[in-house]
Formats: sequence, structure tokens, C-alpha cells
Amino acid sequence: MSTAAPAPALQLVGIEKSFPGVKALQDVSITLGVGEVVGLIGENGAGKSTLMRILSGVYQPDAGNIRLHGEDTVLRNAQDAARRGIAMVFQEQSLLPNLTVGQNIYLGAEAQFSRMGIVQWSRLYAAAARQLAKVQVDVDPSTITGDLDFATRQMVELAKAMTLEEAGEGHLVILLDEPTSVLEQADIDILFARVRALKARASFVFVSHRLDEVLALSDRVYVMKDGGVVAELPAAEADTRQLHQLMVGRDRHSEYYREAQQRPFGEKVLLETRGLCAGAHYRDVDLTLHVGEVLGIAGVIGSGRESLCRTLFGFEQPTAGEILLDGAPARIAGPADAVAAGIGYVPRERRNEGLVLFLSVAANMTLASLRRVMRHGMIDHAAEARLAGEWVERLHIRTPSIRALCLNLSGGNQQKIVLAKWMNAHARIIILDHPTRGLDVGAKEEVYDLVRSMSAQGLGVLLIADTLEETIGLCHSIMVMRDGRVTRRFDAPSGAKPRQVDLVEHMV
Amino acid sequence: MNRDTLRQLMPIVTLVVLVVLVAAFQPSFVNPATLLGMASDTATLFVLGMGVTFVIMLGGIDLSIQSVASLASVAVALLITPLGYLAFPVAVLVGALAGLLSGIAHVQLKIPSFIATLAVGGVAAGVALLLADAQAITLGEVERGYVGWITGTSLGIPHEVLIALVVLALGTVVQHYTAFGRYSQAIGAGEPAAHAAGIRVGLHKTIACMLSGAAAGLAGAILAGRLASGSPTLADQLLLPAIAAVIVGGTAITGGVGSVWRTLVGALIITVVRSGMTFLNVDIFIQQSVFGAMLVIAVALTIDRSKIPIVK
Repeated sequence: MSTAAPAPALQLVGIEKSFPGVKALQDVSITLGVGEVVGLIGENGAGKSTLMRILSGVYQPDAGNIRLHGEDTVLRNAQDAARRGIAMVFQEQSLLPNLTVGQNIYLGAEAQFSRMGIVQWSRLYAAAARQLAKVQVDVDPSTITGDLDFATRQMVELAKAMTLEEAGEGHLVILLDEPTSVLEQADIDILFARVRALKARASFVFVSHRLDEVLALSDRVYVMKDGGVVAELPAAEADTRQLHQLMVGRDRHSEYYREAQQRPFGEKVLLETRGLCAGAHYRDVDLTLHVGEVLGIAGVIGSGRESLCRTLFGFEQPTAGEILLDGAPARIAGPADAVAAGIGYVPRERRNEGLVLFLSVAANMTLASLRRVMRHGMIDHAAEARLAGEWVERLHIRTPSIRALCLNLSGGNQQKIVLAKWMNAHARIIILDHPTRGLDVGAKEEVYDLVRSMSAQGLGVLLIADTLEETIGLCHSIMVMRDGRVTRRFDAPSGAKPRQVDLVEHMV
Repeated sequence: MNRDTLRQLMPIVTLVVLVVLVAAFQPSFVNPATLLGMASDTATLFVLGMGVTFVIMLGGIDLSIQSVASLASVAVALLITPLGYLAFPVAVLVGALAGLLSGIAHVQLKIPSFIATLAVGGVAAGVALLLADAQAITLGEVERGYVGWITGTSLGIPHEVLIALVVLALGTVVQHYTAFGRYSQAIGAGEPAAHAAGIRVGLHKTIACMLSGAAAGLAGAILAGRLASGSPTLADQLLLPAIAAVIVGGTAITGGVGSVWRTLVGALIITVVRSGMTFLNVDIFIQQSVFGAMLVIAVALTIDRSKIPIVK
């Protein structure tokens, strides 16, 4: 039920936020009543995380108001937000594993238990025990945090949030960001029971990709898309099917993704996995990548698709199953093995893993294939310059010179250098992990062109895309993953592409 | 950009200013004999610094070099009688072996390079003490016949200077024309990206440690020839000036930026400061303090804080 109390616990009015090249939030208005649980859902990149960061004081909105208990408020930073009773329970926990539970709960707030600079631990532990009792967790506050299981640590996190009750103004706003993604069902039930029990003392914003859980716990649900709120509805009246429809539904321009250039792929299998598993990340993944095929993996955070790609490039080792290259079992112990086997990887962290920023354009292009410009065991600088010049021309890379540091180039030009590096190394399999992240529209289109031309040359491309449209538009085939398992496979030939909603159904 | 250019030119400008400054007080400082003498004084320091340049460029450090150099001098003193000239390559090999140990400790056991090399330096120092029975071993008349290639002169140029020039040429080739040289720079400037490009990061770190050890071995051999003795403490007091030479020359302690040539300039600066202090009658005991201060100032001026927000 919509509980529009006279003074809601939290009100966001017309929040806007932009980053260079991206409008992350547009006119977002959200109300959170006292004692209410509000669900927040949306596809990757819909703006949920940005909104949570604004609420926890990490980002400042460009425009709009934040009202806490009816009063306009500016959240200067995370400490300021905490002082005003806004707490965040992250998916990636903020507890330090080497400290005790009590030390973690009052980390940074020990002064209240200190006398002349000496912390009186007995008082701190007694207070920590009271916080743990609020969330009904039976843990000795002097336990080392790292010794607890994940679910219990999550409850300690919640207990830590509850300390703000005494420190601040009483009624709390607690932001739960994907708190269930790594919990077992029994632990989820416990967490939800605690959250319900705490509704008398706190209001909650619950962000999750698991729609059934959002519907189970929330009073109302906000659906976000492209940085805006597209729907607000009472949880009791919504179902997952309806939410799926609301989350997607953008028009996909087939021209934008060069769909006319999509050609059927070859028969020959380049890469295959059989029953590949990696601990808690993913299980039983069978995958086949053919010559000239663009294979997309769709899935939300926690689906295991990133981990799968990192395994295929040798960053991580599988715990079971096998990888076959050209039909023969292969062991990829590290990226060096992957590169030697003809695999290239375009990472999401372009500035960290994609390029050596403090190295020249030319040196980055030959980094994975230095042997190609070596004569008699020596680097032939002239040959390297020639090769780099050719790539700069072919890919229209805008750089003052091939000797310029990559540091100073735009994201799009940097990404083209990363792609040039792998084409230069004659990679036959290219793993693209969010290849268009942070790029402007023009640069994105150039990347799409390159994906098409790689496919036409017979390279196998494994794609983790930023959006569903990108996945559908670019790929020949799509594999959908959820919670570490492959839930569905789609063929996506030009002219008979699956709809976004078909994919989303199997993603969340 | 401008600031970068300035940063690059600073060491050479410093060197020129220092020479002019000392010469203004002591004109005899710039006569050819003095300059040649200084050049040969610089040789050992440069050879030590050249090796460690690669380790620093990779983002690490080698603190074992002075002990390894001393150990090598002992090896020369002990082996020159049975082996003759072969004693010198063996000394270099001993250094490379010590570097290999550092490399294994650093890469395979994942110990930070400063701890790994500090520890290996301790081991080398102990072995040197043991082998030399904690004493300096003076070369006899016959043995001295083998050190002419170090102590002699050709065409008026001291052999030490020629050796240093050969080392400079080798270092330049390694840095500019080999895969190892390129990868060292890449790893130092961005290890995750280097790793993700398929570069065997561990292997190249180990090679750098071995190169540094070998250079320390050669430096020890030169010292042994020069002083006509081997001693477990022969190269003591050389670690700080050698590291200072690399950093003062403009190689970044954070890795990724540096060159053998810069180390040459750095080593010359150290020598000019050292000789200058003697010329100007500054107490010799204060030298290490001056080098320490120079190191701090050089790092403070050259460090790129945007690259390392947290200093441990």
C-alpha cells in the first residue's frame, strides 16, 4: 500500500546527475514513507547505483532536492549522510575481516567509549552487543569478523547501520544494495524477517536484481530505465512479468548495430567449454564459439558472466570442466597462455588492464605481439612505427603522434588502440568485456563496425555488452546466465532477433 | 608537457650547475686529469646503478647490491689464483645467482622486493664474511697481473671508464632493443595491463633481479681490481649512492619511467658532489648524509603522486 505519510522519511525531488558524456539521472523523484520498504529495480546502467551513491552522500546531485523527514538536506559526504541517519548495507561488505565484530560496528566512532584517549573496550563491546540484539544476531562482539560466515557478516553490517539510531536523529533510512545476491535462501529469509522487524525503527530502500524478492519484501516498487523512473507501483499489485516489460522496451535501431552486415557464421568451432565450473561464480557452462560468430552473454551482476570470461583468458582457473580450443583440450594457466593460443581480451577496466597509459600508442599496439616487429632479436623501431601508423590510419585513431602517451587520448581512441593490439597479435578469439563502456555515441559505432569486420574476417567474438540492445543488435547467438547458470540460449540472426523482454525473463 | 620536459632536463642541468659551481671555487677542478679521475671514480657507481635501474623501472628495488658486490670481490680475490681471468666472469655469475635468489623470493614467494633483496643481501654478506674469514684478502704480485684490464689505461683513458662505456652501450641496447627492456617499462608503468597483454611478468622481474645481481658482481670485480683486494665490506657505503644515482638521474621510484643514460647522469652528479665536497674541504664523514638528503629531495621532486595516492 502506498503510505504517503505527512512527512516521509525521505523524499527525492527532481534529482539530476551527469557524468562526462553520460546523463546518469534525469528528473528522478522518489518517496520513502516512515517504516516503508521501497524496492528499486532496473537493468544494468539504469541509474540505481548512481542514485544510491547520491543518497549515501558519495555523489552530489547536479539538480533537485533531498528531503529528510520533510526538511531540505544537503548530504555533503558519506559521514554527513551517516550523521543524518542514512546507512548503507553494501553487497561488497565494508567490514574489516581482521577486526572484532565490536570494533567493526564502532569503527571510527570509538571516541564515545574513550576516556583520555584510551578506549574502554568493555563498554564498546556492551554497546555492540545491544546493536547485535536489535537485529537478533547471536554473536559475541569480541569474535574476529573474518571467522564469521558471509550471511552473519551481512547481519553484522545491518547491526552496524543500527548504531546510527543513537548517534543521529532516531529513525533511520537504510539502503540495501543487492544484499541477497550471494546468500542462500534460508539466510535470505532470516534477513528479510529482520528487515520487517526493524520497520518500526527504520525505512528501507531495497535494490535487487531478483524481482521475486523485491516483490516479497517491498511495499512499493520503483522501476528505473535510462536514468529515469518509468513506473511506481504497489508491490501487491505487481508481478514479475509486468516488471520485466517495464524494465526494457527501448527501441532498437537495427542500423545502429550494423545488422545488415551480419553474415551467417562458419561451421568450424574455435572455442568450446564443457561443464565448466568456478566455485560460487558459475556452474556447468557449455559454450560453443564458431568461426565468425559473435556470441553474447546476457546476465545481471552476479550472473557469473564476467568470471566466465576471465577464466577463458586465464585470469581465473576453473574448478571443474574443460576448455577446448580447435577441438583439443587446452589448459590456460594465465593470460600468457591465452595470448599464445590466439585469444585477446578487451577488459572493462580499459585504463587499468587494457592499456599501459604511461606507454606510447605504438608500444601499446605491439605489446601482445612484440615478436612481429623484432628482427634478429632486436626491436625494429622503424617497423614498429610503420605498423602503428597503419593502424592509426585504418582505425582513424586521433592522436598527436604514435609516440604520444595513451594517457592523454579520449576513451574511444584508447579503446581502438586496445582492439588494434589484439588484431595486431592475430588473435582468433576476442573477448569483449563491456567494450563500449564510457564511450560516446560516435566511438560506440566505430567499435560496432570493428566487431562486424572482425566477424567477417572469421574471428570468434565473445561479447559482454553494456546493454541488452547492444547484445541483441550485435550478436549471432545469445546465452543468458542467471546466478551462475546458463538459463537459456537464443539464436539471433539478422531479421529474427529475440526481444529484450525474452532475455530479461531468463536474467532476473 | 612542459613540466615533463623540465623534469627530464633537470638532472643534466643540475650536473652542469654543480660543475660550474665547484669550478668557480676551485678552478683546478676542471682540468682534464681531475675530470678523467672523476670519470673512473664514477665507473663502479654507474655499473651498480645501471643494474638496479631495470629493477626500479619495473617498480621494484634491489637493496642487496652492496653486499653482492662485496661478495663478488671476495670471489675474485679467492679465485684469481686457481682460475686466472676466469675469476671475473665467475664473480659476475655469483652476482647473477644472488639476483636469481632475490627474484625467486620476490616472484615465486611473493615477497615485496625490498624485503626479498634486503634478506638476500644479508645472506650474501654472511657468505662473504665466511669465505674471507672476516678479513680483507690482498692480491699478491702474481694476481695483480690479472687486473690490468681494470686498472690500466689505453690512449690515456682509464680502463674503468672504457668498461663503464661498454656497460652503458650494453644497457642501452637491452633497454631499447630487447623485449625485456620494453616489457620492463610496460610492467613498471602498468603491471595489470602488461599482465593482460600476455607478458610473463614474473619472468621479467626475475631477469631484472639477475641483471642487477650480475651488474653488482661486475662492480665488485672492478673494485677488487682497483683496490687490489677483496673484502666482505669492500662495497659498503655504496648502496645509498647507487640508488641515489638512479633516482637523481630521473628514473622514477614508482616505476615505468627511466633509462640507463639517466643513471649515468645521476652517477656523475653523485661523483661531482663527492669530489666537490673534498675540493671544498667539507668533512668526508658528512657525505652519506648529503647523499641521503639528495635522495629525499630527488624523490620528492620527481614522484608522480597521482600514481600512488597511498604511500606505505
